[in-house]
This record gives sequence, C-alpha cells and structure tokens, in this order.
Amino acid sequence: MSGGWKRGALGLALVLPPLLVLAFLVILPAITAVVATLTPAPDATSTSRFVNYAEVLGTRILRTDIAFTVVVTLIAVAVVFCLSYPLALYLRFTKTRVAALLGVLFMVPLFVPVVIASFAMITFLVGHGLVSTVLYRLGIVQFPSLVYNATGIVLTQVWVNIPFAVLILGAGLQAIDDSLIEGARDVGAGSLRTFFSVILPLNATSTMITLTLQFIGVFGSFTIPYLVGGNAPQMLGVTMTNYLTQYLRRTESVTMAVIAFIIASVVGVIYVASVSRRERRA
Amino acid sequence: MTRPAWFWGVGALRRAVGIGALLALAAFILGPLATLLVWAFAGTWLFPNLLPEFSLRWWVYVLTNADVSKAIRMSALSAPTATLLSALVCIPAAYAFARLEFPGKRVLLLSFLSANAFPKIGLYVSIATLFYRLNLMDTFTGVVLIQLVNTLLFMIWIPTGTFRGINTNLEEAARDAGAGPLRTFFQITLPIALPGLIVAALFAFIAAFDEAQGSLIVGTPNHITMPVLMYALVLGYPQPVGAVFSVLLSLPSVILLLITQRYLRAGYLAAGYSL
Repeated sequence: MSGGWKRGALGLALVLPPLLVLAFLVILPAITAVVATLTPAPDATSTSRFVNYAEVLGTRILRTDIAFTVVVTLIAVAVVFCLSYPLALYLRFTKTRVAALLGVLFMVPLFVPVVIASFAMITFLVGHGLVSTVLYRLGIVQFPSLVYNATGIVLTQVWVNIPFAVLILGAGLQAIDDSLIEGARDVGAGSLRTFFSVILPLNATSTMITLTLQFIGVFGSFTIPYLVGGNAPQMLGVTMTNYLTQYLRRTESVTMAVIAFIIASVVGVIYVASVSRRERRA
Repeated sequence: MTRPAWFWGVGALRRAVGIGALLALAAFILGPLATLLVWAFAGTWLFPNLLPEFSLRWWVYVLTNADVSKAIRMSALSAPTATLLSALVCIPAAYAFARLEFPGKRVLLLSFLSANAFPKIGLYVSIATLFYRLNLMDTFTGVVLIQLVNTLLFMIWIPTGTFRGINTNLEEAARDAGAGPLRTFFQITLPIALPGLIVAALFAFIAAFDEAQGSLIVGTPNHITMPVLMYALVLGYPQPVGAVFSVLLSLPSVILLLITQRYLRAGYLAAGYSL
C-alpha cells in the first residue's frame, strides 16, 4: 500500500498551500480577534475578561445599532425570499421566450459591483431622482424618503441579492423531477398544495443555502448601509469600520466584529451543513 | 373536458397580474442602471425634467483626474495579481481534492466555506488588526491579500467540480500509452478542464476587482483601488462624476463576461454563487 500512502501524502501536500492562505487570512484573524477582545486594556476600569464586551454592550447607541442591523437584515432577507421564490418558480416552469428574456434580465445585478449598485440606487431614488421625477409628473408630490434610511438599505439589498437567490433556488428546482410534480397534480393536488407538499420540501437544501447566505451577506455588509443608509442608527458594518478607521478605537471595533461573528455563527454553521449536504448528494 | 368560461376570465386576469408584477420587477432592476447611464452623459439634469442636457464634459474631467489614473493602475495591478496567485495556489489543490485520497479530505474541502460563513466586514476588521501588527496596512501586499480571500472559494470549489466531472478513462488511456503523470495532466486533463477553470478565474477576477470594503480598510490612504475611489466620488463629487466612473469600473467585468459567455452555463453560475 505504499503507492496509496504516497498519493495521500501528495494530496495533502497539494492542498496545503491554499489551506495556509485560509489559515492566515480567515482562521488566524478570527482567533486573534477573539483573544484581543478577551484581554482587558491596561487602563481598563475592570480586570474582567469580558470588560470589552461589557463596554460595547453597555453603550446604548451600539446596542441600538446591533438591534437595527438584525432587524434590517431579517426584513431584507424576507423580502428577497418572497420575491425570488415566485420568480424562480416562474423561470423553472415557464418555457416561453419572455421567461427566457426575464431570466437573463434578472442576472444583470450579479455583474454590477455593489458600490455601483448603491450609487445607481441613490440616483434612482433620491429626492430629485428618476422615481420622484416620474411620481411628480404623475402628480404625486408627497411620499416618504426612499434613500438615506432603512428603506434605502432594504431596497438596495433586494436589488443586489435577488439574482443570487433566484439562481440558487432555481438550481434546486431544476433538480426536481417533473414526474413528481405531475404525479402530485394527477392525484388532484392544486398549485398551492403541490408547492407546499412537494416542491418546498424537495427544495429545502437550496432554500436553507439561500436564506443563510443572504443573512450573512446582508448582516456583514458595509457598502450599502454606508452609502445608502442614514446617519443613525447605522448598521454594524458601518459602525465598526468607523470605529476602526475614523475614531481609531480598534478594541471596540474588533469587539463588535466578534459580536457579529457570534450572532451569525449559528447561521454560518447551517450554511456549511447545507452546502455539505448538497455536495454529498451531487 | 370543458372548462366554464369564467375560469378563463380569472386565468387571464391572473396571468395579467403576473405579467404586471414581472414588468414592475424588471423596471426595478433596470431603472437604477438606466438612471446611472443617463447621468454619465449628462451635463446638467434639473428636476423635474425627464432627460438632461447631454454633454461629455464630465468624461474629460474624470479621465484627466490624477486620482482616477492612479486608482486604475492600482486595480489593474492588484486584481490580476490576486487572481493569478489564487490560481497557482488553488488549482493543484482542486486537482488533489477531485482525484487523490487523503485523510480529512472532506473536512478540508468544507473548511474553505468558512471564508463565507463569517460576516465579511467583521472578518476585514479582524484582518486589519492582524495587519497592523504585521505592518501590512496601506501596502500593495495587504490589498492583494484582501482580494485573495474573496477568490479562494471560487478557485477551489469550481475547479474541484470540474476535475471530478472528467472521466478517468481518458487519463488512464494516456497513462497506458506511456505518458507520465505530468504529461497526462497537461495534455489530457487540463484542456478538458479549461472551460471550468476559465469560469473559476472569471469569478475570482470579478471578486478581486470589485472588492471594495476590505480594500478601503486595508489600503487607505495610499493604495486606493477603483471601487474604493468610488466611495469618495459618490460622497464628495457631483453625480455625473460618479456615473462616468461607474461606467469605467464596470467595463472590465462586462468585457470579460462577453468574451467568456459561451462558457457560462446557469449550472456554473449557481455553483459559483452558492459559494
């Protein structure tokens, strides 16, 4: 079996370089961050290991930002999901030229950098932008502001994330055998019944991947809330970047990063487990 | 089987509602981009005119700006470097994941997903604290490393899938005919795998080129890439400046996409974007 042993060693040797890169750029920073936050500063008011966390969580503005981040993230994920599932279903089960065209159209945001997407949304939604111009022409003058607040963040997140969700959900739907759906119809199930008792359960893995990936993506975003969001409350990504680069308060910033890791950890684990499950079936 | 007439009426109504919703969604997707494109060629655009006065003067302004040319150079150097580095490090590993048996293979392959399982901005802040200690802040190396994090997953997972999909019979036949392992890889495996590798490289390049938030933290103030400059242009300049620069910034991705579009299948896209 020396041949097998040799091939095994070769395999490990080949995968070692990217693993080292991963260790250096993901694992090591994460561990360093946790260790740094658990070490009280020399001039700290208390010597408790958790003094940094107590300080961050004791600051009312930061608590508000954390809550704001969670709420905006949940709303954005829910809206994206509710729009993209019907769209994915439509693209899966409609074989017309219009559907094919729409399929291409909805992929467009994939290839637009998030910075540009945010800027485009601003020009589109801002006070004297295209939307307000069109509404003005239609005689509608009074309407709530659409950018520089949570609405703007959610709308832009939806714009950026719809294609991701449609693609991943669509790939899952593609894998469902037509005969299963026809079978359900033959025994008399309506569209809704077919959806809830056949399609949704069979597409559960893709659904989990979509939801978790979207959650982590929106939760850890910076560009969209930075450009399209308001001044306060702000999403955690903006707050921690400001603390790091503007206020030069690295400890608080890293502490917020670790708090973000902890909040997103459960979601992250479900994401990895779901991709792993899909991988095993493939 | 005949259906009552009212059913058709309801069906048509439902179809109309469906089509209306799709059109609204299409307007929502295209509206912002259209506005941006019009702004790029606008001299002035006063409310409530539906169209601006067209002009190319902002193009001259942007193209002669020193910060802009510096950022273009920075992006043109860093993103290809990160992509190439990623390919060199990852493609042999992807081959190993697909073809060789070694202990812990499955867990090691899954471990690359961890780059995605962390909220990105938190990860960048953590990387920054590490980079402060290693004096990598505001360096070219630092920016390339940040871009590299975003390419790893594409360069490992897409090529692994591609190599797995290649029938081993062909490789065995080449070996039987007397070709050594390296010759077999370069003359048989690599050409067949090329479309998948190109797609992986495309994803990696776009991810590296478009990376903004991490490079903002690590590269400020002297190593500003194009997307990072975009923040400053959005926040501190008249709208046409940002719009013109947006067009410049989208050019590389659009050109690459057009060149590689025959390799892009929805399956590849879905695989790439679940990562």
